Amino acid sequence: MTDLLPFLVIGLTTGSVYGLAAMGLVLTYKTSGIFNFAHGAIAALAAYAFYEVKVVRGLPWPVALLVAVVVLPPLVAMLMERVTRALAGATTTMKIVATIGIQLIITGALLAHYGAAGLTFPAFLPADTIELFGVYVGIDQLVSACVAALGALGFFVFFTFSPLGVRMRAVVDDPDLLSLAGTSPFAVRSWAWLIGSHFAAISGVLLAPLIGLDALLLTLLVVQAYGAAAVGLFASLPMTYAGGLLIGVLAALATNVVSGSVVLSGLPPAMPFLVLFAVLLLAGKRRLVDIGATRPTPPQPPLLGPRTARIVALVVIGIGIAVPFLVGAKLPVYANALVFVLIFSSLQLLVRTSGQVSLAHAGLVAVGAATFSHLAVGAGLPWLVAVLLAGAVAVPVGALVAIPAIRLSGLFLALATFGFGLLLENVVYRTGLLFGASGSLPAPRPDGLGGDLPFYYVLLGFAVAGVLLVAAVGRSRLGRLLRAMADSPTSLATLGLGVNVTRVTVFGISAFLAGVAGALYASQGHSATGTPFTSFTSLTWLTVLVLCGAARSAAPLAAAIVFAVLPAYGGGEADGSSGWMPVLFGVGALLVALHESSARRGRSHVSAEWPTGSRAAERIGSPGRAAARERVAHRDVDSAVRVRVGAAGGAR
Amino acid sequence: MTLRVDGLTVRFGGNTAVDGATFEAPLGRVTGLIGPNGAGKTTTFNACSGLLRPSAGQIRLSGKDVTAMVPSARAQRGLGRTFQRMELFDSLTVEQNVAIGREARLARSRPLKQLWCPPAERTEVREATEEALELCEIGALRRETAGSLSTGQRRLVDLARVLAGGFTMLLLDEPSSGLDTAETKRFGEIVIRVVAERGCGVLLVEHDMALVMSVCEYLYVLDFGELIFEGTPEQVRASDVVRAAYLGSEAA
Repeated sequence: MTDLLPFLVIGLTTGSVYGLAAMGLVLTYKTSGIFNFAHGAIAALAAYAFYEVKVVRGLPWPVALLVAVVVLPPLVAMLMERVTRALAGATTTMKIVATIGIQLIITGALLAHYGAAGLTFPAFLPADTIELFGVYVGIDQLVSACVAALGALGFFVFFTFSPLGVRMRAVVDDPDLLSLAGTSPFAVRSWAWLIGSHFAAISGVLLAPLIGLDALLLTLLVVQAYGAAAVGLFASLPMTYAGGLLIGVLAALATNVVSGSVVLSGLPPAMPFLVLFAVLLLAGKRRLVDIGATRPTPPQPPLLGPRTARIVALVVIGIGIAVPFLVGAKLPVYANALVFVLIFSSLQLLVRTSGQVSLAHAGLVAVGAATFSHLAVGAGLPWLVAVLLAGAVAVPVGALVAIPAIRLSGLFLALATFGFGLLLENVVYRTGLLFGASGSLPAPRPDGLGGDLPFYYVLLGFAVAGVLLVAAVGRSRLGRLLRAMADSPTSLATLGLGVNVTRVTVFGISAFLAGVAGALYASQGHSATGTPFTSFTSLTWLTVLVLCGAARSAAPLAAAIVFAVLPAYGGGEADGSSGWMPVLFGVGALLVALHESSARRGRSHVSAEWPTGSRAAERIGSPGRAAARERVAHRDVDSAVRVRVGAAGGAR
Repeated sequence: MTLRVDGLTVRFGGNTAVDGATFEAPLGRVTGLIGPNGAGKTTTFNACSGLLRPSAGQIRLSGKDVTAMVPSARAQRGLGRTFQRMELFDSLTVEQNVAIGREARLARSRPLKQLWCPPAERTEVREATEEALELCEIGALRRETAGSLSTGQRRLVDLARVLAGGFTMLLLDEPSSGLDTAETKRFGEIVIRVVAERGCGVLLVEHDMALVMSVCEYLYVLDFGELIFEGTPEQVRASDVVRAAYLGSEAA
């Protein structure tokens, strides 16, 4: 038992910081309806700001602390409030894309400027140890834990008792009613962003000495925060803090338990995801209602008539056939781009037709790549069979992550897929389960077509087939049902359709295409490794697709060119996920999200302002409030207030 | 296929929206469910179609307990509904809206059925669509986008969609709200015709007393979630209890 105590201390220290960060995340999510994927990036930004002032500029540490946790957060909060305001009425997908854009901008810039290798964070707290209950505890640890705990406690008191705190809770409960009562929800929300940003910044500065200055690692603080927020069911602040402690302690204890085992070494970092996943699996739908959910935008009419479109498609294929004779030594770049046409097609199938977001797509592609190698080399299957089976294996893997989340809303699916991508990256890639002990597996090309030129045409065939498949799905019964589902899933269910089956089916088709693309990627590069398929890559892919107009049929082609071809002619980057490229994509995706939501507001009718019938029905699970909303929607304000009062009276 | 509701109770926190309602809607009859604003009518509907889970009570279709079933499973057993705020597929055409009524029912929860429509089913969908369009007299609107229609036309599309689904028990939620007198009358005629031709049952939640009195053969009256009266339209009209409930709500 005493062996475990030091781990418990570490766990409580980090857990306290996670809890603080998670409270900021939940507060901003509840008041703004926007789940801030960039929350961890803000923490990273603060830690790097501290580093910049202290180490690079050589100023004393109190100045650095002042800049990192006092000056920086209000600037971030102002940006976030501006973005929130501009995103009013945006679709769930666009809200996710916007904050992922911000995350890419911050993390990408930090990576590009400071490099991917971790830096040593200057210790500014005394590192002496004192004995406490028979355990030696570092003073820095003690200070971190106390600061985080006091912050959390202070905020809880403020939230429960102060007038502003009460107004914040009112925004959380029902912004419409609050504005009827004469308080602007916007002003309250600005305060929430301010507090949320401060919490992120403080946790970044407290965490950096413990885990080192690593932009990616600090950005992933948001994942610990998800897990903690999930424990509080994305609503309760004390439970969220407790969730942070739980995750911190579990991860620290797991570190102790698994030390020495290679297979399990990825378990501690995966802990928050496992907690998140368990909550998504166990919590009922009615306890997890995405407060920011809106109807997806209906598909736009095509730019070109069917005949013109067909001619354009043939011309594009013609150019594709001619490419090898025009580009000389750059042929592998274009062969790679063809694989990306397939990848972006599979992502587009989700985003466009079903309004869902997958942030584990790189993981699914990696599963395809590894499976292909095992089947083609290990089991000696024919090339084509191995490629198709690689796709088939990705389907149940995709379904495994989609099924618990899909019955909830798009946001929770995005969270679950992002966590799943991290799990693959941390546990599976590293431990050799997928890519073997060396982290790389051989991947053959088909017999007789192994040369760069013939294989280019094989890939062209697959890319065309993939695009055609996505188009065929759009025209099939599934496509019709998905278009209808974009307007009203509630009425589809009452007409007898199992809508969750529909969602999983389209996710499965998308996973199949991703798996096949993974096999082809490996085959093109002669080897299968996990390196190019991180969760950061998944985020970059999504932003590139949105940047290229996810709703348009030509988007996968455009995205493949932007992601895989342009970098080869630019600064010599490998592809779009290295150097400053992610920052550009982040900016682009953010702008697209803002533009789309303003365009939506422009043509919106009452339904964008007031909860629609389907939302009201989805929210029926959140009692009292749903009834109140339904009445507010009828402008029946008096009875709405009555219902709320009645519900509140009954709940207490 | 009778819809039978026994002791239905729905609570939202401390607020009891429906309190022990018991009623029955048999085939071949238009049954009315009326009551002042906030009496719990739509909540009752949502509980019947499975959009919310009742706190107590049972819902039976042809004697089979469906209380724990999801909405799509109840629909597969023949229970169809419309929505007070017309949950149409706004970006699709009228014809596509109505066709989905049948397609959704054929596709059920089977992945392959959802993906592919066999030729025989294609004919079935087309025939059901045509029949429903004709019955509701909206064939001329078939190429219009549902989002661009007037409220009266949207009501008819909503009805046609649920008719195309071939349901045997129809729950119609305030079909006359937003309609003018002539449109309401036409709607009532279509409902009577459907029940006569198909022999299906209809449960109607309605505010418009003229429509209720002209189409319903039997009425249940809800007030504050409780069933306060049941009987034929004539009996309801003569009832002091019902009159008090309505006058009371207007005076408040």
